[in-house]
This record gives sequence, C-alpha cells and structure tokens, in this order.
Amino acid sequence: MCIPHFRYFYMQEICEQYRGLTGRKVSFMILLVVLLSGVGLIALSQGASSVGLKDSFAALFEDSGVAHAIVWKLRLPRIVMAILVGCGLAIAGTVFQAILRNPLASPHTLGIGSSAGFGAVMAIVFGGGLYKEYLIAGNAFLFALLSSSLILGVAKLKRSTPETMILAGIAMMFFFSSLSSLFQYMGTMEEVHEIVFWFFGSLSKVGWKEISMASVMILLPIPLLLKWSWDFNLLAAGDESAKALGVNVTRIRMVGLVVASLITAGAICFTGVIGFIGLVSPHITRMVIGGDHRFLLPASALVGSVLVLTADTLGRTLWAPQVIPIGIVTSFIGVPFFFYLLMKRTREYW
Amino acid sequence: MELLVIMKRTLIVQVVILFLFCLSVPGKAITGQDNRMELIKVQDAQGTTLEVRLPVKKLVVLTSDALEIVRALKAEDLVVGINTGIVKDPLFWPRLKHRPAVGRWSEPNYELIAELNPDMVISYARHPGAEMEKKLMPLGIRVIRLDFYKIRTLEKEVKTLGRILKKEKEAKELTAWYQRKLSWVREKLKEVNDRPAVYVESYTGYHTTGPGSGGNEICVLAGGHNIASNFSIPYPQVTPEWVLANNPDVIIKATSLSNCYAMADPGPLRTTRHRIMARPAWDNIRAIKEGRVYVMAGDIWTGPRAIIGASYMAKWFYPDIFKAFDPKELHREYLERFQGIKYQGVYVYPSL
Repeated sequence: MCIPHFRYFYMQEICEQYRGLTGRKVSFMILLVVLLSGVGLIALSQGASSVGLKDSFAALFEDSGVAHAIVWKLRLPRIVMAILVGCGLAIAGTVFQAILRNPLASPHTLGIGSSAGFGAVMAIVFGGGLYKEYLIAGNAFLFALLSSSLILGVAKLKRSTPETMILAGIAMMFFFSSLSSLFQYMGTMEEVHEIVFWFFGSLSKVGWKEISMASVMILLPIPLLLKWSWDFNLLAAGDESAKALGVNVTRIRMVGLVVASLITAGAICFTGVIGFIGLVSPHITRMVIGGDHRFLLPASALVGSVLVLTADTLGRTLWAPQVIPIGIVTSFIGVPFFFYLLMKRTREYW
Repeated sequence: MELLVIMKRTLIVQVVILFLFCLSVPGKAITGQDNRMELIKVQDAQGTTLEVRLPVKKLVVLTSDALEIVRALKAEDLVVGINTGIVKDPLFWPRLKHRPAVGRWSEPNYELIAELNPDMVISYARHPGAEMEKKLMPLGIRVIRLDFYKIRTLEKEVKTLGRILKKEKEAKELTAWYQRKLSWVREKLKEVNDRPAVYVESYTGYHTTGPGSGGNEICVLAGGHNIASNFSIPYPQVTPEWVLANNPDVIIKATSLSNCYAMADPGPLRTTRHRIMARPAWDNIRAIKEGRVYVMAGDIWTGPRAIIGASYMAKWFYPDIFKAFDPKELHREYLERFQGIKYQGVYVYPSL
C-alpha cells in the first residue's frame, strides 16, 4: 500500500524538479532576449553622427532624410548582421561539439571556418561582376563542404572516432590558413588589402542584400537542427548507446556536419574572421543551463548574438571614431568571461 | 763577457726592429689602400649615423622607391640586384628588368645577395628587420636604410644617396626640382582660408589615413583638411557612419593597383569609384552628391612621386586656383627628365 504512494510522491518530486530546471532554462533564455534587445537599443542609439535613440526611433518610420539613411542603411544592417553572425557561429559550434562529442570542436578549430574563409577570399580576389556576393557566399559554402567532407572521409576511412575528426579538422585548419597566407604572399597589393580587410573581420561592408543571403543560410536550417536535438542529446551518451536507442549515428553525424558547414559559411563569408564565438558560446550556455540540446541550441545562439553585438558596439564606440576590429574585441570580452565561468563552475559540464 | 752580453742584446734589438719593420710594411700597404678609399658618414632613415666606404660600385636595391631614385640619379648601371616585383613591371623598368632578382622587398634571399657580392644593399627603414644587417655585415656588405616615400624626408634622403653614389650634382638637380614644384603649390595655396574637408581612404576599405601616414601628409600639403587629422594612429579603421557624420567635401580613394604604367583602360579605377559612390547611405555625403570622388593609383600616392599625387589633390581641392595647371604634365616632366622613360599609363579617375 505504501509503495505506490511512495512512488507517486517520488514521481511528483521529480516532475517538480524537472519543471524547476526547465523554468531555469526558460528564464535564462528570456534574460538573454532582454539582454539582446537592450544591447540592440544601445547599438541603435550609438554612432558617430548626432542621431540618438529618440531620433533613431523617429527615423525608423520616416521615408527619407539623413537620419533615415543612417538608421536603415548603416546601423540596422550592422545590428541585424551581428545578431545573425553570432547566432550562426554559436549554433554551428554547438552542433559540431554534439556530433563530434568533443568540447574542442567549433567552426574554427575544425578548419571549416578557415576553408570557408579561403573560399570567400578566393572569390573576393578572382571574382567580379554583378553577382559577386553570390559568388562569395557560394564559394565559401563550397569550401566549407569540401573540408567537412574531407574530415568525414578521413574519419570513415579510419573508423569514425571523434578524435580522428578533430585531428583531421585541425590539420584542415592549418592547411587552409596556409593557402590563404600563400594568396596573401603572392597576391598584388590590392588583393592583399582585400584579404587583410577580411581577416580583420568587419561588419562595415554589410548591406541588406548580404543580410538576406546570410539569413537564408543561417536561419533556414535551424528548425531542422531543433528537430534533431533529441538525437544530439543521445549522442552524448556514446555511439553505442545512441545506436541502441535507435539513433542513426552515421547519418546524423553526416547531415549535422553538412548543415553546420552551411551555417558557418553563411556567418563567415560577408564579415570575415570573427573567432572564438563558435567555441565559447556553447560552453557558456552549457555551464548555465546544462546540455539538453532542445534548450542548448537556441540559448547558445542567443549568447552568440549577444556576444557579437556587444563586441561590435564596443568596438565602434570605445575608441571612437577609430574602430577596434571586431575579431579583436570578441576575444577581449569573451576570454575573461569564459575564464570566470570556468573558475566558478561547481560541477563537470562536459 | 760583458761585451758578449751587449752584442747579444744589440742583436736581439736588431732582430726585433727588423721584425717590426717587416710587420709594418704590409700594414702600411693596407693603410695606403684605405686612404685611397673614402670613408663618409651618413644618416639613414632611422636617424642612425653610419660609416660608408666609397666608392660604391655594386648595388642591390630592394625597394622600387629607392630604385626610382637610383635611376633619377643616373646610377642605374651600379644596380646588380632588384626585387621580384620589378620584373612584373617591365615597361616601367626597361633597362633594369633583366637584372637578377633577389626576392621580395620585405623578405630577400640573403644567399642570392651574398652571391652577387654587392658593396651595398638599400632597403626600407623597417623592412626587412635587423636580421639583414646580422647576415650581411659579416660578409662586408653595407646595409643602408632609406625610405624615399615621405615627402618630408625625401629631399634629405636623395642628398644622402647622392653622396653615397657620388652623384651629388644629379641629387641636387632632383631636389631643386622638388623644391621648386612644392613651393609653387604652397605659394598658390597661401591665400586659401576655406579648406575642403577630405575623407582619405587608404588601400583597405574603411581604413582612413591619420597623422603619421603618407596619405595625411599629401592631403595637408595639397591644402585639404583631413577629417581624420586628429586621430591617434596612422591607419585607423572607421565606420561608414563616421564618414557620413563628417560630411566631407571631397573623397580620395587610394588604390593599390599595380602596373598602372602599362594600363591604358581606366576601367579598374572606374569600378573602384563606382563602388565607393554606391556604398549604403553615402548618397547623403556632399562629396558624393557633387561627384567629387577621386581615385588615385598607389604609384603617385606615396613614394618618390607623391608630389604628383599631391598636385592632383590640389587641383581637385581648388579647381579654380589650379585651372591652368595640369598635373599630368608634371608627371610627364618627371618621367621623361628624371626617369628617362616616356609618359604613359592611367593614374587617376576621373581624369581631368
């Protein structure tokens, strides 16, 4: 008689605990959304011109004028692109870490960033004409795919362990970085300067056309990834267990790699190298809300967006009118924050 | 006994004297040769005083800027080694293109230099690094660092090179020409009060030129007010909004296109200008509204020909004052008189 009652009580407690944990996760995401909107508002109101927050809002609904141009053509594209890039890098990082079951995985450490970058640089240097944007994006994706399939191929050939993939990725990173450097070394002055701009990472050249292309590449695959979040969760238990629980491990690994490559290419091709975000955003999020991918994926996307937007806003206001390149700022704010969390954490998250 | 000792001593003294004499003979011969060689003291671009042994008969020139000055001083024949970039511009260097290349200006191949065994290597003040002296000095090769790309120090450096190459007369001719042209521009700009606000963009997009950069130097020389003149670094990155907020009257874009001398079609420069004019929201900038956006090739932007770039700028800033002046003719005069090649190529867009 006692046992069912006890069991019932036990279940209730578990359910409550679960609800409590979920509540924590949801409130973290709400907090991130609030934070992102706050930083967004600050970014909207800050700039070299005298257009402040009030004017910006007024200008949002105007049809013409300088304030309208500043808000609609300069500040908003920057903000939107920062959010997109941060979201893309963080999501890609989360997926890479899940499918390779490795905390070191990220678009850059896997060499996908370097190869997408090399593709973009190649299109920047050799491409031209009206469709240059498409060429850059397409080539970036092509090279991202090339290196990710190479990594997959190597892994398949030599039994697919996450370690081989990471090693192959690191090799890939060095290879494509060297190729880009070779371009720089052999290139004419003009090409070198285009490449330098790209390696600094910058949101200055971004317009709505680039944003629409990047958002297709970054946002469209996200629902698909969310759908797979249970599979990603099961992968964490190891390949054997995941297989036993009905996950097609090989398939999810392959499709995940392709989708994350597409997202990486979208995040990188128009803005250049913005390092570190893809690696730390998932870790930061995991330290706060744990490893359930249903929450981890959207939350780390938000963390990435907040980081990139904050970095860009700081980069263009701290030392105004001089701009500190965004790639530098992301490391400056990301690394100390990451270390703080690393020191403070009480249990193992990985 | 005592006599013997004295004799012995004398013998020793004699032997020693003889020995010393023998030693001194070749010694004297060396010093004699030294006297025939002249030692001069010069100051390089870093302000270091160096002793240089004259005459310099074999020269490796690592920078195209220095090579241009060497040619202007009519010392082309001394050049035994050049950088690999020279070979890519054969029309501009008709007589030097076949000299052996010793690598990139920033990373020469020291083995090749050693093989050519020159008396002297000319390079920029900062590139390559100090390792060049470490490698070449023990081989008896003098390294001299002269920039030739800043108008401020150009005359001094030309004179220094003139002394080193014993081409003082040619150096004087060139510096006199520079002085004449510069003071003419300065004289013309004396009465100007209302200086146009100028946004100068260097080779990389949205990177402007602050104090300490060559771009700022020629912009100020040409009578422009560089909107980045109060910055703290030479090549800062800026936001498009900052340019818009400062609403410049003129925009100058430097392009690092190479081979402008061999170029006949202004297409690439036109594309650069078109891209700048199409930047988002920039249609609100005065310079773009009035079409005062000018693209300038790197050849006349910094380097020995910066004065030609500055002349173009002066004409763009003050079209009325410089109505009768054609910078192209200045360029032609420089190329034909000092470089011994005919004028050709496309260097600016739109052309005047």
